[in-house]
Amino acid sequence: MTCEFLKACSADPMKFLGEWFVLLPALVLLMAAGAAVVMRNLIHAALCLTLSFIALGIVFIALGAEFVGFVQLLVYVGAVAMVIVFAILLTKPERLTKSVSAFSGLGPAGGAAVGFVVLAALLGFIFTSPLAKKPLPTPASAPVADIGQALMGDYVVALIAIGVLLTAALVGAAVIAMEDKP
Amino acid sequence: MTLQILLAISAILFAFGLAATLSRSNAIMILIGIELMLGAANLNFVAFWRFSENPAAMTGVLFAIFSIAVAAAEAAVGLAIIILVHRRIKSVEADDASNLKG
Amino acid sequence: MDLLERAPIELKSWFLNLLGSFGVPQGILSVLSAVIIIGTVIGVFLGLFALMSVMERKILARAQNRYGPNRVGFFRWRLFGLFQPVADGIKMITKEDLVPRTSDRAVHFLAPVVMMIPALLVLAILPYGRDMVPAELDAGILYFFAVGAGTEVAVFMAGWASNNKYSVLGAMRAIAQMISYEIPLVMAAIIAAMISGSLSPSAIVAAQGGFAWGFVPQWFVLTPWGFTAGLLFYIAALAESNRSPFDLPEGESELVAGHLTEYSGFKYATFFMAEYIGMFAVCGLLVTLFLGGWQAPLPFLTIIPSWCWFFGKVCFVAFTMVWVRATLPRLRIDHMLAFAWKFLLPMSFAAFLSAACWHYAGRGPLAWLLSLAIVGIPYLILGTAFTNRFAISRRTYQFSE
Repeated sequence: MTCEFLKACSADPMKFLGEWFVLLPALVLLMAAGAAVVMRNLIHAALCLTLSFIALGIVFIALGAEFVGFVQLLVYVGAVAMVIVFAILLTKPERLTKSVSAFSGLGPAGGAAVGFVVLAALLGFIFTSPLAKKPLPTPASAPVADIGQALMGDYVVALIAIGVLLTAALVGAAVIAMEDKP
Repeated sequence: MTLQILLAISAILFAFGLAATLSRSNAIMILIGIELMLGAANLNFVAFWRFSENPAAMTGVLFAIFSIAVAAAEAAVGLAIIILVHRRIKSVEADDASNLKG
Repeated sequence: MDLLERAPIELKSWFLNLLGSFGVPQGILSVLSAVIIIGTVIGVFLGLFALMSVMERKILARAQNRYGPNRVGFFRWRLFGLFQPVADGIKMITKEDLVPRTSDRAVHFLAPVVMMIPALLVLAILPYGRDMVPAELDAGILYFFAVGAGTEVAVFMAGWASNNKYSVLGAMRAIAQMISYEIPLVMAAIIAAMISGSLSPSAIVAAQGGFAWGFVPQWFVLTPWGFTAGLLFYIAALAESNRSPFDLPEGESELVAGHLTEYSGFKYATFFMAEYIGMFAVCGLLVTLFLGGWQAPLPFLTIIPSWCWFFGKVCFVAFTMVWVRATLPRLRIDHMLAFAWKFLLPMSFAAFLSAACWHYAGRGPLAWLLSLAIVGIPYLILGTAFTNRFAISRRTYQFSE
């Protein structure tokens, strides 16, 4: 009963929906990210952020990096978004709506201006670069088995370093957030 | 579809994150901005991998995986700091944490 | 026998060929094929949910020495009250849909929808029988957990949008519980994936095929590490699907109904349905990972179709969950979290080590003993420590006797 359609979709997502399989989630990603930035209500911002994480995961899957997409969903939606939400709930949400005052003396207008300038510069480089005009190559895929082999082979030092970093970070986070004992 | 479109999407995402980080004063919003910028970087890794000459090497994919792991560690530590700061000064506004200011 | 085995596949291709002979284009047919599969899977699980909702009450009732629902039938025929789900459904749909005035309306509305999506999506990767996997994914197990993470978001949305302190408390408990128990759950799944060398569910089922000495099935649950990991997975699955004895988020004596307090009518039914379908999905994953998936337990029983075995095993696991609910009292929140971090997590590491040793010691009798020792010793140490720590002193009743 393995469905040929679903199988073909997962083998080459581009074939059926064309570019829209990437562009549609990308559009959702941008809208959700924009909403997350401008929302007054912190919880709404966090939920929009979660939506943008999901959309980013789908973009990864659509680009053929299905393992990265799943890891993105698992780590960001399952862990990071929940940690953010927990932090919001633990830090008394009374002052949620005040958050227009300026950090680093820029203010909303200043922040938006800096963002716009950086965006304009980046887009300028992107659209003048000859590198970026390359057409889409044949479907690329990153099989899970190969990723596993690479992680345990060439990248094993990096993998262990990441493991040490994560352990240290989580133990550190627990120690920082622990109540001070007299 | 060309690489340009993906890079442009990533650039817009990065600009959103930057604007949020610079303009919002709530520490959690600053963290959300940083997460958006990290997501933009990951999108670039995957996009360059997709359009690379040799996708079988999977460098971009592996880099994205490591970067996601680092982002998770960063979020955990960042939020622990926010909770600690909130416990000390009863506020999560970045401007209120100014004890070291001369 | 072979016909019955392949009946669902043949039926689908017969129907599609019939349509094809009427001149329906190939593109529509391939989409229709996907729609048929998705519809069948969802329909089967909705049917299981309806059956479960009445059977659970009947089994609980029998455990407590009463009859349970046995009235609702079809006109004259009672049918043991099997039409109870229909009555429940009508009641749920016609009930007033209450939304608190101070609630966050959009989020309150979206929460049940968000809850339902992951519950249905995870059904895509389970191998329901020989050659019956809706979506054959390389990283199927990872997909299951990645999509399942969406449930936490939904629970938070429901709790927060209700703008009710019990809802928020219930949601925070539920999320703490889900995150804590996700670790032993994923660890146990990783062990099965490690031994079979693949993250694809069908490859894991294939690795459990065959019979030792001609009659002993080679399911993972029949090895020391597999039994430990399977049990850990089962306990974690109970907690993940918010079932007794881990149903604290809905502990009515403390929290009214947790994040479901402000939900009524069809939205409540959606939550209920999503929770049960999620429970069946996680039972299906347990069956796939440790109980041999769709494989028959004895060689001569292979005449029964593989999909019957799969659903039979799922129903058996679901039945044990009801049994546990009838037997065990609810835990206290700190005991529950301590149990996850101080017992299940170390035990899952022990099972991990044990599985690795089993593999490298040649999978023979010696390997069996070695892995038994590696699992058994930590179990004894942790078990003793736990019993001493949370020892229940003998209760003395002053006025009884």
